[in-house]
Amino acid sequence: MPRRQEWELTLSISVFEAARPVFTGLIVAAMVVVGAFVGHWAHGAWLNDHTPVQPIEFSHEVHAGENEIPCQYCHAWADRSASAGVPSVETCVGCHKGLAEVRDRPEIEKLFGYWERGEGIPWVKVHDTPDFVHFRHKPHIRAGVECQTCHGPVEAMARVTRRVDINEDLRMPWCIDCHTEEQVANGRDCLTCHY
Amino acid sequence: MSKITDTLRQYRADGYFAEFDYHWTMAIDLDQCTGCGACVVACQAENNLPIVGEKRMRQGREMKWLRVERYWEGDYPDARLSFIPILCQQCDKAPCEIACPVFATYHNQDGLNAQVYNRCIGTRTCAVYCPYEVRFFNWFTYTWDEPLEQQLNPDVTVREKGVMEKCTFCVQRINRAKDLARDEGRRVADGEVQPACAQSCPTDAIVFGDRNDTDSAVSRKMRDPRAYEVLKELNTAPSVVYLKNAREPLHAADGGGHHDGANAQAAEPRAAAAEPRMVEAESAVT
Repeated sequence: MPRRQEWELTLSISVFEAARPVFTGLIVAAMVVVGAFVGHWAHGAWLNDHTPVQPIEFSHEVHAGENEIPCQYCHAWADRSASAGVPSVETCVGCHKGLAEVRDRPEIEKLFGYWERGEGIPWVKVHDTPDFVHFRHKPHIRAGVECQTCHGPVEAMARVTRRVDINEDLRMPWCIDCHTEEQVANGRDCLTCHY
Repeated sequence: MSKITDTLRQYRADGYFAEFDYHWTMAIDLDQCTGCGACVVACQAENNLPIVGEKRMRQGREMKWLRVERYWEGDYPDARLSFIPILCQQCDKAPCEIACPVFATYHNQDGLNAQVYNRCIGTRTCAVYCPYEVRFFNWFTYTWDEPLEQQLNPDVTVREKGVMEKCTFCVQRINRAKDLARDEGRRVADGEVQPACAQSCPTDAIVFGDRNDTDSAVSRKMRDPRAYEVLKELNTAPSVVYLKNAREPLHAADGGGHHDGANAQAAEPRAAAAEPRMVEAESAVT
């Protein structure tokens, strides 16, 4: 009986040793798979497109920069609501009806296409906060915060881009720093933003 | 350990409550409560509470920030039913706040017991410490079927798996009212903030307001001799005040005879007439 046990033991060890390269391969493969998942998640969460392609190649550089249209002419709800709002197609067409010299440009044709079909323009959101953060535009605008403080120099952007430094910009310490500096009433209370 | 004792000392210190800007308080008149459950439904709708289903309900994983507890007195047909809505008491000396290892629950300057979802790591210690059993844990990420997600309240976070949650005194409404008041350069007026439960109560049994304002409706309710606090002996200093159900105790008037409990005043003249029968009942026992 003991001899038989020894024989079994030697076999099992030798089988394990023979299979060792296979195990290494499996571990490497598993790491690659896990890495792919993590990478995919990180890409979606942190490294997503800061300058998404919009359905119409709308240029803030032309509108807010060259023509000096105030931000709140189009984003009219910024000083009275939580959301700054995206203008209706009617707002765009209201001006562009009278601008015959740019009427035949392809992007303007797209705009009038949406107008004639009675559809909204599916703009892609550039600045977004997580669901557990309730940012409100109204108190910030009324306190005299410039739009550019958070959104960057939009008037110089052909296509709107989000501020890139993920370690500083538009993250909570950045909010808290400003609230502390400006001595906002209850500005450091969690329930001001998180509820 | 020292952190906990520091927190305790801070809570127990004199003048801690005087620092509150507003001291939001709720008064619930149990005499007016009919147990209809409108507050429960309103809370469910306002605060994006999931419907967990029958199976998880049986497992004790229900989500109800506000529940109406029922208490039966006596045996049928001489039974009487009383209700008490139980919600987070927003204790000024809250046991849950001492329990949390990451300070996801804390007391803010308005006397609110805050729960910060993004800071919570889900140890569930607070729920163990809470003597009122009003903290609920998200065991799953609950979802809403296709058209129903349209009724979610955008002002309230939809909680995810692994997060503790509880009644917030509808802080989104408080914040909104404070926002409007600040624009007009004044304090929030009495009755301007109404949590969903108070708004939906058909008998106005629930009154909400600022305790620091001595003329507010809730302060007047608190001065009522019927006012009491649930589990006061635990020294949690709750911000929810209940007004006692002023009814004659069952069987007190006619010694266990047929007694209409809902009509406490009407029973009074009968009390005198019932006296001989009471003696009779006593002799029968001996």
